Amino acid sequence: MPEIANLIRRLRFDNGEMTQEELARRVGVTRQTIIALEAGKYTPSLSLAFRIARAFNKRVEDVFQYEIPIRNEASPS
Amino acid sequence: MNAEQKRAWLQVATMTACVVGYLVLLPFFGPVVATAAFAFYGINGFAGFIGRGERADERDKSIARRATLAGAMASFMAFIIGCMGTWFVVYAGYRKEQVWVHTLAMITQLGAIVFFFMRSVAILVLYARHTEADNA
Repeated sequence: MPEIANLIRRLRFDNGEMTQEELARRVGVTRQTIIALEAGKYTPSLSLAFRIARAFNKRVEDVFQYEIPIRNEASPS
Repeated sequence: MNAEQKRAWLQVATMTACVVGYLVLLPFFGPVVATAAFAFYGINGFAGFIGRGERADERDKSIARRATLAGAMASFMAFIIGCMGTWFVVYAGYRKEQVWVHTLAMITQLGAIVFFFMRSVAILVLYARHTEADNA
């Protein structure tokens, strides 16, 4: 599971059902990169994260969230 | 499929042709002449014409960087195994201290071939993982 989750897919639909191609063009990457980002297969650079957030008029932390990995450790008795 | 993937497929295809050609020529002409089959590899010179002007983004560069590292590691291992294997066979096996004059050239060539082949395979594998995401 990725540690950096994102809301790109939801934000695209909230912004007039923006296509992946349109978002890719706005932030200067390929559509495949947007697909990989939405699927959590790729963690963007800080620069790209800011460009994506700016494309939605949001702050970076509104688009990307750091998820603390959950460990399956037995609690001490 | 982007330009990097097309170039990787070309590498894999030409390398396969080289190995098949070598194996076909080997029983008829021996190991030295059979290496002529690796002339097929020259086709990769046309790889520069694939995807001219196509821009790579940060993910493409990241994949290329990881694939290059994988290729370099595999190449280094092939070179070391080639050197140690030669020593093991020639010295430890036959107690000879001289090797065939073409040995080092062939080991070096092996290292280069392994580098480009493994880099291409790594590129195809890394992009394929993201294609799975495309279908998800």
